[in-house]
This record gives sequence, C-alpha cells and structure tokens, in this order.
Amino acid sequence: MCIITVLLILISLMDGRRANELRKIKCKPSVLSQADGSAYIEQGNTKCLAAVYGPRETRQKAQLIHNKANINVEISLAPFSMPQERKKRSKSDRRLLEIASAVKQTFEPIIMTNLFARSQIDIYLQILQFDGGTIQICINAATLALIDAGIPMQEYVCACSAGCHENHTLLDLNNAEEMADTPELTVALLPMSGKLTLLQMDSRLHVDKLEPVMNLAALGCKEIYQTLDETVREYVKDLFQKSSPY
Amino acid sequence: MKHSKPTERTKVKVVLPGDTVSLDVTTPGITLGPGLIQAGDSISCTKAGFLVRSGSIYWVENDQKRYIPETGEHVVGRISGKGGEFYRVDIGSAHQAILPFLAFENATKKNRPNLNIGDLIYARVALANKDMDPELQCLNPMNNKADGFGKLEGGMVLKCSLRYCQRLLTQETDICKLLGQVLQFEVSIGMNGRVWLSSDTIKHISLVYNVLKQAEALNNSECKALVNKLAV
Repeated sequence: MCIITVLLILISLMDGRRANELRKIKCKPSVLSQADGSAYIEQGNTKCLAAVYGPRETRQKAQLIHNKANINVEISLAPFSMPQERKKRSKSDRRLLEIASAVKQTFEPIIMTNLFARSQIDIYLQILQFDGGTIQICINAATLALIDAGIPMQEYVCACSAGCHENHTLLDLNNAEEMADTPELTVALLPMSGKLTLLQMDSRLHVDKLEPVMNLAALGCKEIYQTLDETVREYVKDLFQKSSPY
Repeated sequence: MKHSKPTERTKVKVVLPGDTVSLDVTTPGITLGPGLIQAGDSISCTKAGFLVRSGSIYWVENDQKRYIPETGEHVVGRISGKGGEFYRVDIGSAHQAILPFLAFENATKKNRPNLNIGDLIYARVALANKDMDPELQCLNPMNNKADGFGKLEGGMVLKCSLRYCQRLLTQETDICKLLGQVLQFEVSIGMNGRVWLSSDTIKHISLVYNVLKQAEALNNSECKALVNKLAV
C-alpha cells in the first residue's frame, strides 16, 4: 500500500514533473518603455507579455462609467505561438474573448476603480508561446503589469490551474495534458487574505474530486505568489538602489 | 521657483499591494498619503514601492509614469484644443485639463491670451477632483502675477517617471546644478512626468535632454562623473 502511494506521488508527467509540481516560472516586470506598466512571464513553455495603460480617457463614450474606471482587457495570440499550426487569429476569436472576460472579472473587484471615475484602464495581453494554462498566465502577467503601473489594488492576485486524470490530481497542466480530456480547473486567489476571485472549469469533474483539485490549485497559487512576491520585492529594491542619491 | 527644504524622509521598507503596515492609527496627526488605505484599525498598502515616512506623514513611493493631478502642483502641458472660454490642455493625466482664458496675468474678457494648439505651457493645478476635469491656471494665486507660468517658447520636452521629477525638484538628484556649471540651460520641471528644457543652440538642447534622461538611473556620484566627462 505504502509503495503504491509513493509511486502515485512520484508519478511523472510528460515533461518530467511530479503531479503536484509547478512548471518553471520566470518573470520580469517593466519590460516595455512606452506602456505605463508591463511585465513578461513564462510558465513552462507558455509565455505571455502584458502591457497596462491608464487610467486614461475612455476610447468610446459608451464605455464611460460615471463613478468608476472601466477595465478593458484584450488578449491576442501570436501567429507563431503554436508549433502545430501557424495561423492568424482575430481579436474577436470566441475563446480569446472568453479568457479576456475572465481576466476582467478577476480584476474588477480588486483594482480600486472608484478612485478613477470616468476613465479607463487598458490591459493588453499577448501570448507569445502557447502551451496550456492560458487563463492563469494571463492573470499572473496582468497582476505584475498592474503592480508595475502603480495602479492601486486592494491586494494582488495569483492564479493556477489543476486537473484530474485517472483519479490522480495534477497541477499546472500543459497543452498535451489539457488535450488528453483532463478536466481543468483554474483558481485565482488573493494570497494574503485567502479570498477566491475566480473559479473556472469548462468540463465535467466528479464532485468528490472537486475539493482535492481545488486545494491543489490553491497550493499552486501560494507557490506562484512566493515567486511573484520575491520578484517584485527584488525589483523595487533594485530600482531604488539604482536611483538613490548616494 | 523657490522650494522649501523637505523634512527628513526615511524609507521604512518595501511594500506590496495587500501588505498590512503596523502603524498606530490613533497617533495624533498621522496622515496617510498615496498608496495607503485604512480598513478598520489596520492600514494596508495598495501599491508596490517603498513605504516612506516624513514626520507623521506616510506614503508609498513608486516608479509610476501616469500622473494623477493634485491641487497646487506645477505641470508642463500641451494645448490640445480651444473652447469658447478655455483651452484644453494635455497634462498626461486620465482627463484633459481645462485652462480658462481668465486664468492668466492681466487677462480680461477683452484681453485674451494668445496660445495655439501645440503650444507648451507651464501651469499650476488650480483644482483637482476625481469627478471633474482638472483645472489649471497660469498665475500665482498669492499675488496674481505670472511668476514664471505661461507659454514655454522653443526647447523640448522630456518624458520621465513622476518620481524623477520629484527628485529633480527637491534636488535629491542635483544633476541640474552640476550641468549648469558646464553650460547654460533653462528647465521647467512639471510634477506630471514632463520636463521642459531649453538652451541657446539645438546641439546644447539635445545634449541637456540626453544627460537628464540618462541621469534618471544614476546616483549623484555617477551624475558627477557624467558631467565631468562632458566638461573635458
């Protein structure tokens, strides 16, 4: 029995990770000079570039909200982002719009939009390489870019996905694992207060499995939080050291 | 412009959005600046940066590029439109600012200022409210004199982070003073991340522009080295 459990824990995924192990994360805030805030993040082979502009004037009068800022999220998938097929996707691709609205819903309660009445905050996300986990990487990249832009937030958000395959819970699915009919649950957490802002799943999952999968995703969020936290603290310290008068 | 020397500022620590700061909210005279909010008895941060303390005032200092207007601050703006009673001015904030024709020295209904679209101005924020467009004025409200405000002729504008503008104004970074010993130039530093600069020749203007731009990432001794290299 014991040996079986150990085997289960050590079960190797396609890229040599363990089932409860995150893919490698690399991130860097402030990569673009033109944008008010920007960030680049890699989770395994998924790579995303985020740019935040604003608060600025609304582009269309119809989007104006008189007592708070409007958040506008646009996601684009680079034509070279998938190795299997090279094609240009329009911005109005249904799948991308869905992800954009998930990102928007995640950030709406967290950004203090009431401080910037009648203005607009634009978040542009570009997936440079696609290997699964699009929602989570978009949320993580947007978080970093918003922090870089200095937009007031109650707390910042971390997102992570988890799934379940043949009774084993898996963390941070890549594209091949997503394709293998694995139910994938994306969780976005406020790591400090432990509140949940997004819980999204497109397929069916047995209700008994929901809790372990959710807990695993939450654990992943905490781990991502550690990485982001370290990066930003290091970045801020570095910035102020470089420009300190002495 | 004369600026009173700021009281001693101390950097407390690095903070991130959501961090709670252990400050006693009941301390008399405690003031929370940008980046800090009070929720019940605790104070939490909304921005990433350094928590800075000056006397009993606390705020978060970061490297923001987008300007949020505040009454009394001086800004460099570009005229972007003209209405019946006012100019529209781009100051880099979320909304275009309004500059009434009457907010100039000696201006009357008949005696209007003569500014065109594209002109640069140095002005003071007269009114800043999150629900209204910001309003500017080109006079000092203490004595109703222009006092250096108004149209900026020639020169060019450097866009930089808001904190760099503050550093230049408080002379925390004394690059202007150092560079002034080498060549003559004029600067108007706005709090909105725009610095207007001018000199006698175009060559000198672009030199000043490049030096000021580079100095953003340098400390004082490196600034000195940079200027010394130019002086030779």
